[in-house]
Amino acid sequence: MKTRIKEYRAKHNLTQEKLAGMVGVRRETIIFLEQGKYNPSLRLAYGVARALQTTIEELFIFDD
Amino acid sequence: MKKLSWTILIVALVVTIFLIAVEAYYVAVALVVGTLIMSHRELWSLIRKRKLPPVDERVKENTAKAVRNGFIFFAAATAILMLPFTVILTEGPDTVQVLAALFLSAGLVYLLSYLFYDRAEPKMTEKRLKLLKKFFWVVGMSIGVFIISVFLHNALSGLFGVEEPVFFIIAVILAPLALVVGLIGSLVLFIMGLVGNSS
Repeated sequence: MKTRIKEYRAKHNLTQEKLAGMVGVRRETIIFLEQGKYNPSLRLAYGVARALQTTIEELFIFDD
Repeated sequence: MKKLSWTILIVALVVTIFLIAVEAYYVAVALVVGTLIMSHRELWSLIRKRKLPPVDERVKENTAKAVRNGFIFFAAATAILMLPFTVILTEGPDTVQVLAALFLSAGLVYLLSYLFYDRAEPKMTEKRLKLLKKFFWVVGMSIGVFIISVFLHNALSGLFGVEEPVFFIIAVILAPLALVVGLIGSLVLFIMGLVGNSS
């Protein structure tokens, strides 16, 4: 799984800490998400997408 | 989860004091270092922001995995350590052998449930699943109560110089009885779930 969280975060001038605060998770969780090392729940994926003003499909890219 | 963190910290503190009291200094140091390594993020956040970091789904998942694996390790270790007491039957079974057999069975039930739970769960009705969880809870609680009762019985007997009866009865009769009930109940339901048709 690849994500575009880092790209969108930079676009909105958000630090990992700030994004984590907006979503209600730890900064480490955002790091793991950005590296594609953690599969989030639908709720968390939706929360991150909403915080970055985009959609889940835009943010998370699954390799078939 | 906050309650769990506090429980872990208080238990670690009590065990550390106990270890220092019995002069097991190296073990106490290892426990303190281990606790600090495990909870350094929480402590750092408490110092910097005066609040605990959020317990998100990733942390919950990791904690659940660690607790489950730790418990399975504990069950397997207890089962293996108790094995000699159950196989050496010289002059008929005594209390230790009966208790050892019970612990061994408890360890095996937990190992079974760990290995085959995913296979049994979809075949069980919600009512049976609730009952199975209750039986598992009884098994876990009886082991915990047994250990605490043995500790308290020895501590109170040592402190007051008299044979303490209440915790002795709990440890030798009530806890093993609950363990037997929980073991038989969970085993029966678990096997029924394994061989039953999917609902």
